[in-house]
Amino acid sequence: MASIAVTKPAAVDSQELLTRVQTDRSCRQTVLIYYTSAVFWLLLGSVLAILASLKMHIPGFLAEWEWLTFGRVRPAHLTSMIYGWAVMAAIGTLLWLQARMGRVRLPLPLLLPVSGIVWNVGVAYGMIAILIGYSTSTEWLEFPVPVLGFFGFCLVLVIYASLVMMMRRKVHHTYVSQWYIYGGVLWFPFLYVSALILTQAPHVNGTVRAIANWWFAHNVLGLWLTPIGLASAYYFIPKVTGRPVHSYHLSLLGFWTLALFYNWAGTHHLVGGPIPAWVITVGIVGSMMMFIPVTTVAINHHMTMLGQFGHLKTSPTLRFVVFGAMSYTLVSFHGSLAALRSFSEVAHFTHHTIAHSHLGVYCFFTMMMFGAMYYIFPRILRREWSSAPLIKVHFWTTAIGSIIYVVGLGWAGLVQGWMMNNPDIAFMDVVKYTIPWLESRSVAGTLMSIGHVVFAILVWRMLRGDGAEQQGPTLFTTARSLRAQRERKARARERAKGVA
Amino acid sequence: MLVVYVVIWSSAVLLGLSAVWGLVWAIRTGQFHGLREGAESIFDDGEPVGTPTDFFPGAARSAASASGTKAGAMEEKWRR
Repeated sequence: MASIAVTKPAAVDSQELLTRVQTDRSCRQTVLIYYTSAVFWLLLGSVLAILASLKMHIPGFLAEWEWLTFGRVRPAHLTSMIYGWAVMAAIGTLLWLQARMGRVRLPLPLLLPVSGIVWNVGVAYGMIAILIGYSTSTEWLEFPVPVLGFFGFCLVLVIYASLVMMMRRKVHHTYVSQWYIYGGVLWFPFLYVSALILTQAPHVNGTVRAIANWWFAHNVLGLWLTPIGLASAYYFIPKVTGRPVHSYHLSLLGFWTLALFYNWAGTHHLVGGPIPAWVITVGIVGSMMMFIPVTTVAINHHMTMLGQFGHLKTSPTLRFVVFGAMSYTLVSFHGSLAALRSFSEVAHFTHHTIAHSHLGVYCFFTMMMFGAMYYIFPRILRREWSSAPLIKVHFWTTAIGSIIYVVGLGWAGLVQGWMMNNPDIAFMDVVKYTIPWLESRSVAGTLMSIGHVVFAILVWRMLRGDGAEQQGPTLFTTARSLRAQRERKARARERAKGVA
Repeated sequence: MLVVYVVIWSSAVLLGLSAVWGLVWAIRTGQFHGLREGAESIFDDGEPVGTPTDFFPGAARSAASASGTKAGAMEEKWRR
């Protein structure tokens, strides 16, 4: 299916095209290893998610094998999704984005693909350890400590590659996405190592562990997944629509305020917990300050998209990225308000928190990564996606599934909280009330998993080379973009005439 | 215990200093000047401002045939 025409290379500056093709080509092995592994862990994580979800309303389901009990399947689902899917997708995306934005080739052509394999070994080792009962039982850090060796090796290489690309970059200006990526790349290793020391060292005990634990868990989202997700949004929305960011001032303000405030917010997870009240207050203040970066991002993404929503019909990348960007605004404002003590009195320790975390990691980050992959795969493999209908199935199953998930559990969690705060209601009545909503989660999870399988099929067909091949160096220049280019040149000529 | 303290405090201070250094570097090298050009730095002559760059497979062809414009005709010609 030769769907998109290839323009004559001579039509545009060939040196620039050559650079773009070379940078995309230099990323091929590394990004492919990270992306395909990410999709594998996404599928495995989905299976574990459905198992865990079913166990919530069918308690006897697969309960006779200890390695499939809820206490193991649930952390295995979480770590598979975070360290397998999210981190691997993030590393693939950030390496490609940096090469693209700096117009440099990806360094370490041998070591970076190896790092992808090493990361997989680390995740596989950690997953097996959790399933056979060797979890550390610290949420988000369930992998045994030696996994740090595998992750550390890879992260050092990623930091090195990022710095090398920064030194060699051909574009003097540091684009806002680059700021976010440099931030994320430097913050995440620091977070991981210090949280591991602070939760696993024998000297650290009790509530101090809990503080370090939630400082880390919150910051994985805020200082690692969020920067990479926002870097993608700030690159792909302008790039796909062909319209620069609405307010570049605001975007930079957003980065620096995120860098300043996000780190403080983690302890709001411990509202009502037995830790000093000021520690929690600091977390709540940090959460409220997050209104500044989130507002800048929300204004920018919305104003950049204004008048461009027609592109949602024609671009797979934009659909996922805009869904992710809208979810970012929603999850961040909701998160800031949920940090308040009055709200936490109701929603804390209920299913509401689970809905919130999926709004963040799924509706925002995962959808953003799908969007990035729809853009990047064809450019590193120089091939079209094989089927438009399958892409649409992927979008609608994941979008509808995640909305059912978040709305259902979000509401059920609130009611659950109100019921639990009422001493006249028996605890079992509260449990019974939640069961239909837990079933709705299993339905939602199944829908999302169908989407993941469809995506995996698309990726498999892409690797097999089913899509139309692209020969020329100009990828995806269409009749429409040529027309736009011609109109722009005509306008420029008219302007020049006017000046003369 | 001493090792833990040294590691934590030294890395926290280093991380803070790196952020300050980043800000000073950005101001000195003029990263906050010429913001309009900065916002357009991800575009180039091949993919300039005003050019959408992502489509569903098959969508562009039907758009081209349907439009019946000169560009569409040119595209058809190249394909043949």
